[in-house]
Amino acid sequence: MSLAVSLRRALLVLLTGAVFILTVLYWNQNVIKTQAYTESQLRPHAQKDHQFIPIPLEKSWTYKCENDRCVRVGYHKNGQDAKRVSFISCSMTCGDINIWPHPTTKSLISAHTLRFSVEDVQLHLDSPHREVCKQLKLSFDWFLKQLRQIQRLNYAVHTSEMPMAASAASGGSESASRLRQHNTDPDVAETPPVASLFGATFSSHRAGDLESLQVKISVHKSGELDFKLDNDESYQLSSTFENRRIVVHITAHTFFGARHGLSTLQQLIWYDDEERLLRTYASSLINDVPKFRYRGLMLDTSRHFFTVEAIKRTITAMGMAKLNRFHWHITDAQSFPYVSQHYPELAEHGAYSESETYSEQDVREVNEFAKMFGVQVLLEIDAPAHAGNGWDWGPKRGLGELSLCINQQPWSFYCGEPPCGQLNPKNNHTYLILQRLYEEFLKLTGPTDMFHLGGDEVNLDCWAQYFNDTDLRGLWCDFMLQSNARLKLANGNVAPKHVVVWSSALTNTKCLPNSQFVVQVWGGSTWQENYDLLDNGYNIIFSHVDAWYLDCGFGSWRATGEAACSPYRTWQNVYKHRPWERMRLDKKRRKQVLGGEVCLWTEQVDESQLDNRLWPRAAALAERLWSDPNDDHDFDILPPEVFRRISLFRNRLVELGIKAEALFPKYCAQNPGECI
Amino acid sequence: MLFNRFKHCNLTLLLCAALAASIAVAVADDSSESAGNSRSKWVCDSTDLCLPEKEVLSAAVVENNHHRFESQRDCRLSCGKYGSIWPMPTVECTLSNERVHFDPWKVRFNVVAPNPVTTQFLRETNRLFVSNLLKECLRNCTLGSSKEVLVKAAVNDSSLLLDWTTDEGYMMVVRTTDAVTFVDIKASTVYGARHAFETLTNLVTGSLSNGLLLVSAARVHDRPAYPHRGLLLDTARNFMPLRYMRNTLDAMAASKLNVLHWHVVDTHSFPLEITRVPEMQQYGAYSTGQTYSHMDAVNLVKYARLRGIRILLEIDGPSHAGNGWQWGPSSGMGNMSVCLNRTPWRNYCVQPPCGQLNPLNEHMYAVLKEILEDVAELGAPEETIHMGGDEVYVPCWNHTDEITTEMKKRGYDLSEASFLRLWSQFHQRNLQAWDEINRRMFPSVSAAKPVILWSSRLTDPEHIEQLLPKERFIVQTWVGAQDPLNRNLLQRGYRLLISTKDAWYLDHGFWGSTSYYNWRKVYDNALPVAPRAASNQLPQVQQAAQVLGGEVCMWSEYVDQNSLEARIWPRAGAAAERLWSNPRSSASLAQRRFYRYRERLIARGIHPDAVVPHWCVLHEGQCL
Repeated sequence: MSLAVSLRRALLVLLTGAVFILTVLYWNQNVIKTQAYTESQLRPHAQKDHQFIPIPLEKSWTYKCENDRCVRVGYHKNGQDAKRVSFISCSMTCGDINIWPHPTTKSLISAHTLRFSVEDVQLHLDSPHREVCKQLKLSFDWFLKQLRQIQRLNYAVHTSEMPMAASAASGGSESASRLRQHNTDPDVAETPPVASLFGATFSSHRAGDLESLQVKISVHKSGELDFKLDNDESYQLSSTFENRRIVVHITAHTFFGARHGLSTLQQLIWYDDEERLLRTYASSLINDVPKFRYRGLMLDTSRHFFTVEAIKRTITAMGMAKLNRFHWHITDAQSFPYVSQHYPELAEHGAYSESETYSEQDVREVNEFAKMFGVQVLLEIDAPAHAGNGWDWGPKRGLGELSLCINQQPWSFYCGEPPCGQLNPKNNHTYLILQRLYEEFLKLTGPTDMFHLGGDEVNLDCWAQYFNDTDLRGLWCDFMLQSNARLKLANGNVAPKHVVVWSSALTNTKCLPNSQFVVQVWGGSTWQENYDLLDNGYNIIFSHVDAWYLDCGFGSWRATGEAACSPYRTWQNVYKHRPWERMRLDKKRRKQVLGGEVCLWTEQVDESQLDNRLWPRAAALAERLWSDPNDDHDFDILPPEVFRRISLFRNRLVELGIKAEALFPKYCAQNPGECI
Repeated sequence: MLFNRFKHCNLTLLLCAALAASIAVAVADDSSESAGNSRSKWVCDSTDLCLPEKEVLSAAVVENNHHRFESQRDCRLSCGKYGSIWPMPTVECTLSNERVHFDPWKVRFNVVAPNPVTTQFLRETNRLFVSNLLKECLRNCTLGSSKEVLVKAAVNDSSLLLDWTTDEGYMMVVRTTDAVTFVDIKASTVYGARHAFETLTNLVTGSLSNGLLLVSAARVHDRPAYPHRGLLLDTARNFMPLRYMRNTLDAMAASKLNVLHWHVVDTHSFPLEITRVPEMQQYGAYSTGQTYSHMDAVNLVKYARLRGIRILLEIDGPSHAGNGWQWGPSSGMGNMSVCLNRTPWRNYCVQPPCGQLNPLNEHMYAVLKEILEDVAELGAPEETIHMGGDEVYVPCWNHTDEITTEMKKRGYDLSEASFLRLWSQFHQRNLQAWDEINRRMFPSVSAAKPVILWSSRLTDPEHIEQLLPKERFIVQTWVGAQDPLNRNLLQRGYRLLISTKDAWYLDHGFWGSTSYYNWRKVYDNALPVAPRAASNQLPQVQQAAQVLGGEVCMWSEYVDQNSLEARIWPRAGAAAERLWSNPRSSASLAQRRFYRYRERLIARGIHPDAVVPHWCVLHEGQCL
């Protein structure tokens, strides 16, 4: 009985479906007729024996590969038998491998490409480490989710924001994302949801060249899941095609390497809007390993608050670009958005508002999210300077002044930018609170061998008002050593192997032991301190203000004083910067360079500009640190090949909903090499 | 009719309000502990800073007559002569410290206008006004016991004409009796009235409890310093979807800017549909999705009008015209554009891709006339056109045999003077076509409309008078503030639009050796002043404003929808105050009003750039 009912139901559903399809088809047919009629009426030049122009208009051109460059040519001139090549398919098959950052060791791809749908993708995990498998599965789910978005199967996204982003994204020839009044092409006349519905259920699955695309990920050597500076991030990716089946092998020593392999695979796949299917190479072989271990991006969430959602979006893009450290400058003198479990007073007094805070749960969520993209979250409570608002409740609780000079005026006497505030180096409670905060951070982000203590821009005049020590710099040094000792206590009495501090007057002395301290150099790239720090044996992370500060170039935000660090660093500036080459470092000193980081201070940035301030410029750094390409032609002008790849990478970011800035007029994206 | 609907809603609204109020009370109780400091009262101190009461107390400057406000924004409404009105009123402005607590749904409107079209316009204005008010609400907008607010708007002029002669001034009086608050708006045109409504939204802020706060008594008498307050938007280098165009218009309306100079086409692409010549768009657009249909443009013009904004279309030529013009040869019309997409581009143009119209091709003029016809159809009868005319690259023409041969045949030599002559003839000819179209299409508009050209070698003061008659051509200059060009052209009697290259080019700072101009620099850019004697050379009606105003320019080489809003806003707002109020004071005195203006843009759904750390907005006077 119940079987009969369900059968009847199924039949009914099928029937409704068939009627629906027929209606749509019939309706399209009508559209063609009426449109053709009205068109001949409307066009005054029609009588002039005009050649037929296909609509939508991107169908009127195709791309040819000439000297490793995709050239746009009129399609109607070619005769109708040759198939139209979409911009992206040409880009992906013309010239060198089109992924960002460029693989370092080896990359071969076949000219033969095949069509498939995201439903054809299968995962096989091969690892003795259960936790690794679990983590890889999570990363893979995201990989699939993004493929689905690229193939525009994501209905929810599609109906709202996506068509816009998508149409801006693909270089020359996206499928019509909006219904236009003169779309006579039957494929395009459908509204987008219908198109994707059809694509998903009928045509695409059948039309592909593949039965399946199997992704086999093997991680044997190490079950390491904690972020270490020495994590092996290398991977090998190879794929073969046989019996309508592509098998992709990703082999890596660690989860981290395998994750990068997955990210590379994602860039070997593209959405061909001519076919409305995904495409990839029939075979490929890539051996890849990063040149630098620390590839970071710093975001300041104190000058302006950024939502967890915005941070996650940033991390998604970092994963695409294979950046691996998200340096979260979570507090500063302006605000204290982190709600500590032990000391909620900090946020109560220091956050801009109740809604502009990060709970422990928020931080944990960001951390777990980041791990799926192979990104470590490094939290920084800047100290002793850059700590004011949020630290003012000490006296009320009988803990004494935790921080001094809070919001003191005239600010220029006591700090680098308003508002002032510098922790009290002679109050034991201050250290205790720091220790608790460190403890919470370590608990939230998991065990690591790296921690950031801040430590920059101490203004000794601030302290001089309170203490008559003759050696105030010594006080600063003691502060850093004391907080480092607290860090050790917070970390279960194990000192983290690498403790990062910003470069400052203090790092020019030898007060901090070079065995443990890493200096993040943010001064000018030509300054003497660069050499001195290396000579003094410190490991270094470069964040040179004149190349890798992404906030520069928007003028002074105060009425007085000059612009801090103009001009704007273009993506080419970011890309061209190679301090280790310019400084002619020998092998030993080069080893002391752990990597680099772009910094986004947010005096003049809030959430609505976050994406376009960061991207695609942070991606330029990503390739600099991952592949560190040689500057054969002195780099005054970047090779066209770099433009071609970063332009496509930018489109990929936009496709995933990241509002990256435009690199150049779209004409230049559609006609690679013509604008250089 | 409208009234009736409100009545129906009233019962449900009341119920909702009661519910919301009880929830709000509960929430307030919860949060009163943690948000303790935001609960303290605010005062406006003697230096026009809004500060928490306790801070002022500790500084021992508080006097008994200081008014206590519930929030910083409440304080800002009347702190300082201009409160938070942006741009600042020019004639008279007095604001009371008292507030009326009201419900935006309970504002009643009374429109006094001479005819149905103006009445209709004002009704639409009222609707937009209410929707803007709602965006100011912090919590629930409904209020159980709202004061009644009656807004009366009276307009004399029966026409909807909007051009450089339109009177955009208004007078607004707010007064409050025991039961009712009256807002009395008087303006000669509907556009003046809509600006008054814009000012009225600046007298309102969200209350910490439900509903809104309105300054209870005010007198504002206001009119703009310049009739042309514009923003140039380039949609050819990178396409801007309509949604972003409308956002831009919304933000312009909030700033009392009144001209969107739509640089719709360029060498790179031709996104605009020309119904008479569909080939333009078919060959020139980036893709199907990245186009503006004729109807899109018509609707956009209407959308702008309702917000007091003209859309001035620019069809750039003879330079900056390439893609879209490719189809000449295949349809037997010859090369309408030359040097098209030629490489290496540096030999043929100033920026890739190349393309320059062929001034000796008759078909090109025919097509261009059809385009002009479409453009005339899009705009209001009184609207004119921007004909571009910048950056002609003579070597392009000079390297094209087709052109040089024909020139020789017609008796030209190949000197620069000849090319300039050819170039000016191009404009003269299009002007004739434009006149002919307008006479035919709008016989009611009697005077021939002047058209606009960019400054170029053609507008060189040395020979401009021989090439471009001053009655017919308005020059939009794009030179640096120190360049003598403006002065020279003004002396010769030309009317100008000013787009100061080293202050009002919003695309600068991201390419080459250009630098970014922050809002202060944009604000402080004073426009040149015409010498008195010079304007006598013009007919009487045109003398009034020889400097018609100016435009900030958003060229889109490095901007698309992803960064458009942040690049334009809030900086264009700084220019808006320069153009509306032309203040003598510098940006420093405007900053707190400016920050509030920026927040209003955000409330209205725009994404302006941040200009200072959030802390500095909350702590006035601490970040100097």
